[in-house]
Amino acid sequence: MIQLNDICKSFKEKEVLRSLNLNVKKGEMFVLLGSSGCGKTTTLSIIAGLIREDKGDIYVDGSRINDIPPHKRGIGFVFQNYALFPHLNIYENIEFGLKARHKQRNNRNEVKRALELVGLDGFDNKNPMKLSGGEQQRVALARALVTEPECILMDEPLSNLDAMVRERLRHEMKQLQKDVGLTTIYVTHDQVEAMMLGDRIAVLNNGQNEEVGTPEKIFYKPQREFVARFIGMKNIFNGKITTLDEEGGVMQISTENFELTAVLIPSTEGTHVKACVRPEEIILMKSDQKTSARNEIAGRIITIFPNGPLMRVLVDVGEDEISVDITRLATRDLGLKKGDKVILKFKATSVHVIM
Amino acid sequence: MFEQRFHLIHHNSFFHILISLIAGIYFVFLGTIIACLLTATSLNEFINNIKSPEILSSIIISLETSIAVVILALIFGIPVAYLLATRRFKGKIILDTLIDLPIISPPLVCGLAILIAFGGQGLYSQFDVIFTIKGIIIAQLFVASPFLIRSARIAFESIDQDILTAARTLGASEFYTFRNVSLPLARNGIISGIIMTWARALGEFGATAMVAGCIPYKTETMTIGIYMHALSGNLDASVALSLLLIVSAFATLIVFKYFGRYNDSIK
Ligand SMILES: Nc1ncnc2c1ncn2[C@@H]1O[C@H](COP(=O)(O)OP(=O)(O)OP(=O)(O)O)[C@@H](O)[C@H]1O
Ligand SMILES: [Mg+2]
Repeated sequence: MIQLNDICKSFKEKEVLRSLNLNVKKGEMFVLLGSSGCGKTTTLSIIAGLIREDKGDIYVDGSRINDIPPHKRGIGFVFQNYALFPHLNIYENIEFGLKARHKQRNNRNEVKRALELVGLDGFDNKNPMKLSGGEQQRVALARALVTEPECILMDEPLSNLDAMVRERLRHEMKQLQKDVGLTTIYVTHDQVEAMMLGDRIAVLNNGQNEEVGTPEKIFYKPQREFVARFIGMKNIFNGKITTLDEEGGVMQISTENFELTAVLIPSTEGTHVKACVRPEEIILMKSDQKTSARNEIAGRIITIFPNGPLMRVLVDVGEDEISVDITRLATRDLGLKKGDKVILKFKATSVHVIM
Repeated sequence: MFEQRFHLIHHNSFFHILISLIAGIYFVFLGTIIACLLTATSLNEFINNIKSPEILSSIIISLETSIAVVILALIFGIPVAYLLATRRFKGKIILDTLIDLPIISPPLVCGLAILIAFGGQGLYSQFDVIFTIKGIIIAQLFVASPFLIRSARIAFESIDQDILTAARTLGASEFYTFRNVSLPLARNGIISGIIMTWARALGEFGATAMVAGCIPYKTETMTIGIYMHALSGNLDASVALSLLLIVSAFATLIVFKYFGRYNDSIK
């Protein structure tokens, strides 16, 4: 549906997009995930025709749109700061796109339907500047939807809202997008948001598309080290496959400091790989207890600090450090403190291997 | 922030007393001089003077020309302001400077330039504007229109880019966006610009006198009238015209402040 081929863009000396390729399918919610300044807004602006690419082609439904001006592309845009027209009331804001396109149909019904769609019926005569952020963003959404765009681009639409409103609106937007079946490109740097909203996610880095996949794939089985790091796989170790145990369905990986057991993947012995373990997949204990976990590493606590609702424990295991997330309560019950000797355990299935 | 700013003031500090004293002297200076003008005539005198045909004629000429100037300034100034606010191009700084020049340079110099351009062997000599109403309008336009352009340009520039972008992605052409988003949002800035331009045109003397001369009933504006009557010893007539101008300036300022405030409260 939307295809970016080899898009390059520089601002003055600064190369922002270096040969970006994307392929968005019809009706899907496609999330662009990336850190600040990686070129997400630039990408959307190029798709919408707001800035001109230096190189590359943009296709919508197979036709090249590079030379079509923004107001004729039929691509909706929703902004982080809502960008409502302050001199128009809510009704007029939503009607704006219909009038601008010279539609002679009865606008009233369409505007009413759009307002109902976003749950703001009866807001017609209100001043947009007097609405809450969440309400403003609903208006912005209705304003874009009413023009029946081919697709809609959203640039961090929820990032100015507080956590509660954000969560609610996130659900509503996902539902709405599914109901309408609208092709959507959604930009965010929030992993949780990407995970919840995306049918597919593209992780951008350095002006390129590092990896595309379902949330499942990106968050649990990333194929690139950058992506693994980006989504919080704190523990990544360089290693080499030493033995393949076809019968047991596992393989051994040896790193500089320790041996790991991972689920068997098609490979050959001697292959260099990266073994990744999420901090929350690791069990931390003070004395050795029997578990079914195949991996066991001993170490000493370097430091403990709060990490969101959990506590992060940094454990020294020789040359490497391993991050472990455990609950606040567990930290207290175990009486963990700096310098304590601990044993870390995790399952073979918790080890994700990147070739 | 605002509250704190006032809270930090110590009303008995030496510095506070010093600046209050200096400010006091300054305002006495301004106020007494204006008061002298206000008390220089009686109401009867004032009405009699205003009723004289020559003064009436100069009032009408001033109003006509200044209103024409505002209209012309709008026709040329809005596109120029929009262009400067929204486009980047080579030589923009030169155009910028050109617009500011009439504001900074002495009106007499502007008048002389117009006189040369439109006079005898000038570039535009075929237009025959010297010593005519047209000449007044050209002189005032030259000197006063930059105020409108500056004000409108700042108003256009301060519109949130995302709002304009939103309009475009909703299907609006640049012209539609200009008419239905940029112009309404720049309204207050444009109105302030109109007021400043009008006030400047009404008060213009130097350039006008150079270009249009001082011909009673023909090119005598209010400001020129003040000068002529003062020279010829008819001070009462000068005072009457001056009072009119001061009162209108005062009214202008009130309107201006209102729109300025209104502007701030929107942001
Ligand atoms: N008009 C511009 N002129 C110069 N540099 C620009 C311009 N627009 C963007 N950039 C630069 O390009 C880079 C990418 O910007 P972009 O806005 O696309 O990032 P982003 O991924 O949207 O970041 P964020 O998450 O902070 O919104 C940034 O380093 C930015 O400074
Ligand atoms: Mg951005």
